[in-house]
Amino acid sequence: MSTFDIPIGPMHPALPEPLLLKLEVEGETVVGVDFDVSYMHRGIEKLLEAKTYFQGLPLVERICGICNAAHGLCYTLNVEKLYDKEIPARAQYLRLVVEELSRIHSHLLWLGVAAFEIGFNTMFMYTWRDREAVMDMLESITGNRITTEYSQIGGVRRDMPSNLVDRLLKTMDVVEERTKYYTKVALTERTIAKRTQGVGYLSPEEAKATCAVGPVLRASGVKNDIRADDPYAAHADVPFNVITYDSCDVFARIIVRAQELLECVSMIRTALRHLPEGPFRVKLPMKPNAGEALTRVEAPRGELFHYTLSDGGMKPYRYKVRTPTLANLGALRAMLTSKGRYVVNIGDVPISYGSIDPCICCTARVYFVDSRKGRSWVWTLDEIRERSRRGELLP
Amino acid sequence: MSFEQYVVETLEAIVFPGFIFIFFLALFYEWFDRKLYARLQNRVGPYYTGFHGLLQPLADFIKLLSKEDIVPDGVDQLLFTMTPLFTLALSVFAAFLLPISSTQGLVSFDGDAIVSVIILTFLCITVFYAGISTYNRYAIIGAERSFLQLIGYEIPLMLSVVGVVLGAGSLSLSGIVASQAGWWHIASPQILGFIVFVFAAQAELERIPFDLPEAEQEIIAGWNIDYTGRRLAMFRLARNIELVFLCGLAATLFLGGPLGPTVEGYTQIFYVVYFVVKSLFVLAILTVVRALFARLRIDQVVGFSWRYLLPLAIFQFIVVRLML
Repeated sequence: MSTFDIPIGPMHPALPEPLLLKLEVEGETVVGVDFDVSYMHRGIEKLLEAKTYFQGLPLVERICGICNAAHGLCYTLNVEKLYDKEIPARAQYLRLVVEELSRIHSHLLWLGVAAFEIGFNTMFMYTWRDREAVMDMLESITGNRITTEYSQIGGVRRDMPSNLVDRLLKTMDVVEERTKYYTKVALTERTIAKRTQGVGYLSPEEAKATCAVGPVLRASGVKNDIRADDPYAAHADVPFNVITYDSCDVFARIIVRAQELLECVSMIRTALRHLPEGPFRVKLPMKPNAGEALTRVEAPRGELFHYTLSDGGMKPYRYKVRTPTLANLGALRAMLTSKGRYVVNIGDVPISYGSIDPCICCTARVYFVDSRKGRSWVWTLDEIRERSRRGELLP
Repeated sequence: MSFEQYVVETLEAIVFPGFIFIFFLALFYEWFDRKLYARLQNRVGPYYTGFHGLLQPLADFIKLLSKEDIVPDGVDQLLFTMTPLFTLALSVFAAFLLPISSTQGLVSFDGDAIVSVIILTFLCITVFYAGISTYNRYAIIGAERSFLQLIGYEIPLMLSVVGVVLGAGSLSLSGIVASQAGWWHIASPQILGFIVFVFAAQAELERIPFDLPEAEQEIIAGWNIDYTGRRLAMFRLARNIELVFLCGLAATLFLGGPLGPTVEGYTQIFYVVYFVVKSLFVLAILTVVRALFARLRIDQVVGFSWRYLLPLAIFQFIVVRLML
């Protein structure tokens, strides 16, 4: 039987992100996969070098609309490392609350998208309806539904009054009840089980070898969470369980994310009940010390990595962002490769792809410039891999 | 044939219960389906055009008719042009078989129960031609899937109809309706056939959980990806008329068709109302099924049909045979 190529993306109803999946199919079976993420480049890292540290925050929040709180938090934590100043405990707790709230909204959004990818539109509508409650709370706390810019360099933008704390606790009850219901639906509905169990398989060895991060890694049974391994904000004081599941498939990723929602709810409750009194912000000078800082934050999609190099001026000398989606692309290739008895169908591709919770707008492509020859070109991930194997990347 | 009779028959074919009635009934069923689906999902559904969006399907249809008509390069011109017409003609003819305003349809002959099932297979073949005539990769996969699906649900569907035919002792739809004057088929072991029929109808109509030939997330629009404007409007209308036909066929075979208590002199009106109410009941079941499940994979669809639907249909067939 002859094979033919099916392009999925960069424009496709199932993938709202500019990614091209080149599938080589034989009937309904996928026999080869290749992808290209280089459809989006916004030059954010370069732009950050032209802005002061305080001006950079709104830009960083716009790397990704959904995990904006994680990006903003990572940026502020990273820049604060360049100052020798203690950040008030109340600010750290409030940062945690908003970070976990945005994780709830991201995971609920993902549950809806995952249901949509397998054609379960009813669940999609319901989860997105319940997500609105969380969005309303985010708006009440920070003044905005997304791109909240709540975490600022030196603290948070505004304080949380006590009546808001009560409202937030009430909303958490609703979220908890609905999440338990969705977990029940995911566990008992047979069509969901049929479409997700044994699909998008990623063994723990493969997960480690491809450097997967976040819920994808935890769903392969690997206990890894930056909040527990390298605590930031108030995570050292607020206890939680790292959720893992060992069936290594899309189903495991649904369960891990649903269970994490419950953990988020309990973390927010703990943080709000033990909210320390005191100032919520300290003023920091425009110029930090010279040096470099590196921060890791557990974004809803996985480990987020920010790096700054400061020369003591008002602007960063170099800023680098590594987003979780880029880290998970290797795992995606492993999921979409048929091997032995594990066969990938065309129907499995959207949900496998969706299960890494992709956000292509925050992955970068590599653009090479040779200043001596006046030449510039683009290499895809594959070409870089190929060249590094041949040792051509070294000068 | 006298002149009056000629005029009456022509009007019957064109106006009531012929083409125009079926056209509006099809649009109404689409509205009912969309509205109920939306309400089940906690949405509002069509709302602005007409009373609670009642005219939305008509507006969509007119809008599609006014769109640019594109014939892509490299398609099979003849098939590409003819398939929408053929599909529409087939589904309208199928709807003529339904007993709507009397105990027999506009077109009625001995053996029309068998013809109605054959038309369902033909409709699936038109989908296949629509898919392959464009030479689009997504469309070819969609067409391939529609045939694979047919392999799954066609035999259980036919067996469920055969069970009813055996029970009624008649090969014509009017005979089947007449046999249910006292006792509907659904209130007997034929209810197994009804369940099989509902699932097979869902697959025939390409609705969730069996909407693989046009699975949006996988192959965009599947077999109808290259159709625009008038041709797409025809396909959509044909699909809606097929919806009327399948719901009506289920009502005819299992729910007593247009029969029910009537008042002397107004029999026809009562018949139409009963037919519409009963087929809307079937449509409501189809819509709830559509809202409750996720889409299956193609191998799972065929597996489901052969593992569950076929044994159920055979069991119904045996029970009905033993009861005779």
